[in-house]
Amino acid sequence: MSSIPASSFLLLAIILFCIGLYGALTKRNTVVVLISIELMLNAANINLVTFSKYGLTPNLTGHIFSLFVMAVAAAEAAVALAILIALYRNKPTILIDEMDDLKH
Amino acid sequence: MDALNTYFNSYTIVGVFLVIGILLPLVAWGIGALVQPHEPNEEKEKTYESGLDPFHEATVKFHVRYYHIAILFVIFDVETIFLYPWAVAYDKLGLFALIEMLIFVTLLLIGLLYAWKKKVLKWM
Amino acid sequence: MDLQTLLSFHWDTMMPEFIILISATVLSLIDLFIGRSFSRKFFGWASFIAVVAALVSLISLSDHGVTTILNNSYVFDSFSIVFKAILLIGTALVILMAISDKFENIEEVKSEYFYLLMTGLLGAMFMSSSGDLITLFIGLELLSISSYILVAIRKENSKSNEAAMKYIINGSIASAILLFGLSYIYGLTGSTDLAAVQQIVSTLSGTELSGLLGLSFLFIIVGFTFKIAAAPFHMWAPDVYQGASTPVAAFLSVVSKSAGFIIIIRVLLNIYAGAYSPDGQLPLLINMQNYIFTISAITIILGNAVALMQTNIKRMFAYSSVAHAGYILVPLAAVSPLLFENIWFYLLAYTVTNIGAFAVIQYVVSDENNENIEAFRGLYKRKRSMAIALLFFLISLAGIPGTVGFIAKLQIIASALANNPINITIVVIMILGTLVSYFYYFRVIAEMFFKGDRLELQPPKNEIPFNLIVVIGVCVAATIVLGLMPNLALDNFYKLFS
Repeated sequence: MSSIPASSFLLLAIILFCIGLYGALTKRNTVVVLISIELMLNAANINLVTFSKYGLTPNLTGHIFSLFVMAVAAAEAAVALAILIALYRNKPTILIDEMDDLKH
Repeated sequence: MDALNTYFNSYTIVGVFLVIGILLPLVAWGIGALVQPHEPNEEKEKTYESGLDPFHEATVKFHVRYYHIAILFVIFDVETIFLYPWAVAYDKLGLFALIEMLIFVTLLLIGLLYAWKKKVLKWM
Repeated sequence: MDLQTLLSFHWDTMMPEFIILISATVLSLIDLFIGRSFSRKFFGWASFIAVVAALVSLISLSDHGVTTILNNSYVFDSFSIVFKAILLIGTALVILMAISDKFENIEEVKSEYFYLLMTGLLGAMFMSSSGDLITLFIGLELLSISSYILVAIRKENSKSNEAAMKYIINGSIASAILLFGLSYIYGLTGSTDLAAVQQIVSTLSGTELSGLLGLSFLFIIVGFTFKIAAAPFHMWAPDVYQGASTPVAAFLSVVSKSAGFIIIIRVLLNIYAGAYSPDGQLPLLINMQNYIFTISAITIILGNAVALMQTNIKRMFAYSSVAHAGYILVPLAAVSPLLFENIWFYLLAYTVTNIGAFAVIQYVVSDENNENIEAFRGLYKRKRSMAIALLFFLISLAGIPGTVGFIAKLQIIASALANNPINITIVVIMILGTLVSYFYYFRVIAEMFFKGDRLELQPPKNEIPFNLIVVIGVCVAATIVLGLMPNLALDNFYKLFS
């Protein structure tokens, strides 16, 4: 159907993963960090779906796995945002580097 | 290997468009910057707000209850991805998948009940 | 899959999980429908009974034999039984501790506390029984998400919120990296079933495939070392232990860490022990041994060195738990033949001693309202029983003969040396680390026994709650009895594995 080789998808996944990791480690805004983590999870999803279609032995398991990953990612994001709201009530900031009460 | 070459060659036109797309605004701004007169004053530096004088911050704060609803939405929205494949393959899966889905939906309902009883759904 | 095949599975082997799942669901529903004025005191005892019931049903299943359910996604074997026993014992003790955990301004603990502990336990149990990468990942995330909420449960406390935020960000990054590694394993083998993966990787050879498998190993080890709080991914531990309430810190240091080791053993031995290294000679695991060795050595050195400098007792225990993770990695780094029993016994020893220590800390910290080591000053003169109990736990953590901690350490060292004399390096690092740990453990002991003027000391304000007496009593008994007669536990272990 299409002539796009599997390696392009894998490359896309790696690039997306690296962008996500870079963002998660360097950004100051918590919400941006959470978005970056979603990028990393979705990079893994692209990998799974690619392998499921173009892998050595194509099968459906990769699709199923990526469905579970999506659900887990949503749960994680929801909990992270809820914790952020609770944090904001006690200390009005969403900047990561201002959350430093526990440094000694 | 041939297929790979054809594939990458088909990106040439994308590359050409990319270069043109970057050059066009750069050239336009560049010429503009070269020929325009530069005379700033206070009136010109002001933020444009439909002819009125600017009177508040550009960022608006939303109330926290939007976030509560959004968090609930994220969870329940994503759970439907399990319902969708089941619905598509319903004829082949049979009774057991139906029971399994009922268990899943019941667990989701308990979650909704939890949110309801904890007064997350109340708009006040 | 029709009804007939489904009913033919041995669902009874999942009994412990069903008990935990159903009681967690029922407790959350009861919590919603009884009135607000109704006392939630019984929640703790109800969930304690549920966990003990699960433990009893697990023991009664112990001679069931190997069973798999749903295309190998759930495996019931002796490995899962012995490790689930540790998880259940650990959680039961933590729940007992949690019953008298005080929040600021609130007399009673929140009821969410108990059912989140149980869902976390459920995730850990699924991890130890998983025969499939999907179940394994879901179990891991169920445990992680429950623990994020548990850390944040004191939502009026900004320290607790901050700890939870740090934990969830670090944890999500680690699990995303882990997942990326898992996706490569799936790509190389076309299966997520651990048994099938094990078979397929033994046929893969050639530099590129082994290289990719090695890459997936590195990704996966990042995810796992985060869970067990090993260096360099231990940075969350001190902050989270300090910010979380004491029972939650005990849960993280015992149950969560055990679950991390369970999943490490499952994945590393199933996938990488059978795969070939790029040169096609040795298994990939031997090839990658240096990485585990390095992680273990850094973890021991760093955990012990930084623990010396701590003034907050919970931060000190966090670093001590980092160091213990390093000790437990030694059998993996040495690839001892007795790896299972070494790790299992160490985790058992660590569970009883560390939970006991945290129970004493919980009492003293809430009584003094002070988390610094000075809170323990003159404890021997103020509350003799507490000081003596903590003495036993500390010397067991330090590994002094006569306690269970000593036996566990001795086993690790002996089997590492017996396997290959080249392991002497890591053994020397472990012994030196233990020696350093004497300093900070004995600082607490000195504080309790030798400091404090009798005239200035105040007697404790509160009596010891009954549930803490039970926890501390059980832990002291286990520390001493297993230290003198370790065969009580090991015989059961061998009986299952023979």
